[in-house]
Amino acid sequence: MAGDVVTARFPRRRMAQIVAMNVFRYLFRGAVRNWLRNMSSTAPALGSMTLLLLLSGLIGLSGFALVNLERVEAGQASLLHVYIRDNATSTDVDALWDRLAQDSRIASVNYTTKAEALQRAQRIPGLPQIADAADSNPFPASLDVQVKNIDNVAAIDAMVRNDLAVDPVYPTSYDRGAYARIQAVLFGIAVAGLVFVALLGFVAVTVTINSIRAAIHSRRDEVSIMQLVGAPRWMVRGPFVIEGAITGGLAGAAAGLAVFGLAMAGIAAGSDNFTQFAPGVTVSVAALAAVLVFATGVGLGSGSSLVSLRRHLES
Amino acid sequence: MPSIVDLVGVSRAYGPRLALDDVHLALEPGELAFLVGPSGAGKTTLLKLINREIRPTKGEVWVDGIAAHTLKPSRVPDLRRRVGVVFQDFKLLPRLTARENVALALQVGDLRVSDQEASERALDALDAVGLGDRGGSFPHQLSGGQQQRVAVARAVVAQPPLVIADEPTGNLDLENSWELMDLFGDIAAFGTAVLIATHNVEIVTRLQRRVLTLVAGRLVRDQPAGRTGRLAWLATS
Repeated sequence: MAGDVVTARFPRRRMAQIVAMNVFRYLFRGAVRNWLRNMSSTAPALGSMTLLLLLSGLIGLSGFALVNLERVEAGQASLLHVYIRDNATSTDVDALWDRLAQDSRIASVNYTTKAEALQRAQRIPGLPQIADAADSNPFPASLDVQVKNIDNVAAIDAMVRNDLAVDPVYPTSYDRGAYARIQAVLFGIAVAGLVFVALLGFVAVTVTINSIRAAIHSRRDEVSIMQLVGAPRWMVRGPFVIEGAITGGLAGAAAGLAVFGLAMAGIAAGSDNFTQFAPGVTVSVAALAAVLVFATGVGLGSGSSLVSLRRHLES
Repeated sequence: MPSIVDLVGVSRAYGPRLALDDVHLALEPGELAFLVGPSGAGKTTLLKLINREIRPTKGEVWVDGIAAHTLKPSRVPDLRRRVGVVFQDFKLLPRLTARENVALALQVGDLRVSDQEASERALDALDAVGLGDRGGSFPHQLSGGQQQRVAVARAVVAQPPLVIADEPTGNLDLENSWELMDLFGDIAAFGTAVLIATHNVEIVTRLQRRVLTLVAGRLVRDQPAGRTGRLAWLATS
């Protein structure tokens, strides 16, 4: 062997394996073990966070539905029905149609016959009974005017309501202030929901911070020993952050499943009414909401832990 | 030879109270020194400054070339891995065996150390302190003297250039105290600097090592090894 130089190859793959195993052991396994050990002190945080996430998920879905509802309402409010009187001549109707079609503020004009108006009314809850009670078709023919900007609806209404072809008793579907009232109600609901979620979030974060503080306190000897033997900060703090993420993840999973289940139950129970009441809430939207609730739970749990660590575990 | 520990004009105040006042001190590799003085003299404060548990109010603290006085919190673990620490109350993790306690100090400092390597080196360290056959015992299954020897094994397993001990014989009987001092002597003989804060008069006087005397935060005497100084005040402290 004299004179031979033996060069050993650095076992990088093995080294990476060892580092990964050590990280897993000190970070993840330790966190899971400690979480199981402190389950009783974590229970209040888990409960309050589940409640918060469940309500946030439901409020989020409701908010999504409200935004869609607002869009639908805005679309409907900018669609002006100009009711044609029963004895109007076709010349008068054509003249009005031409005048509207040439107006630059108007996107489109469609004619709805009395029969089509009756068909449409039968799809609206309450109106079929009115139609049945009358001997003849009580619904007038109309020119359905899609106005480009909702702010111009009032001007179009003023322009057509005294036309010869228009019904003098019920000239148009325009309802001054109706859209503004809907907007105000939706805005109020959104603000109330946000305030409620913020309050509940504050409670959940506070409870989680306190539960992590209790965990730090119960393991203060262990933490100080780890620090004294030179454990890096991530190794000391990491398990607490993962504990918080486990708590948040479990709460998020439970709340996410509940949100998905409730949305599915709503969709399955009355698909037509549900689509009208909560437009846009589909199976995929409910699944996305559940995933978001889970991710929020993980983020909230680990974030609360970080805040608690910064406050209570300064080396 | 460069010093392992260098304190230059170090003062440390807790509010209006001055715990250390203008201390100058250097410790060479392989040197074993005792830090003595009455309660509240500043011994523990000095050890905490070396281990960067606290910062000095004034002055410089150098440990194995690292400026502990300006060290960022994120870099503190780097310093701690160069300092083995032994406490009066052992500070072993109760849910780990003796071998795991020692191996922990190796692996938290270097994640590239495999379980097998950590276990073997931990057993070697336990062997060196006379506990090779107790590696599988939990702390509560060991006597106070044995627990302290496990703590010493943990302090030296990563072969740090410096070991500091705060009243390591405080919870031990005389026989165990002497065995522990023999261990510290062996550690120093291998080139590690050892600084021991103690109240034990008999050990300090009989071992004839360097003695640093702190009184009211001031280093009032730095007595070289091999000379017996006047330590009468210790008996009354």
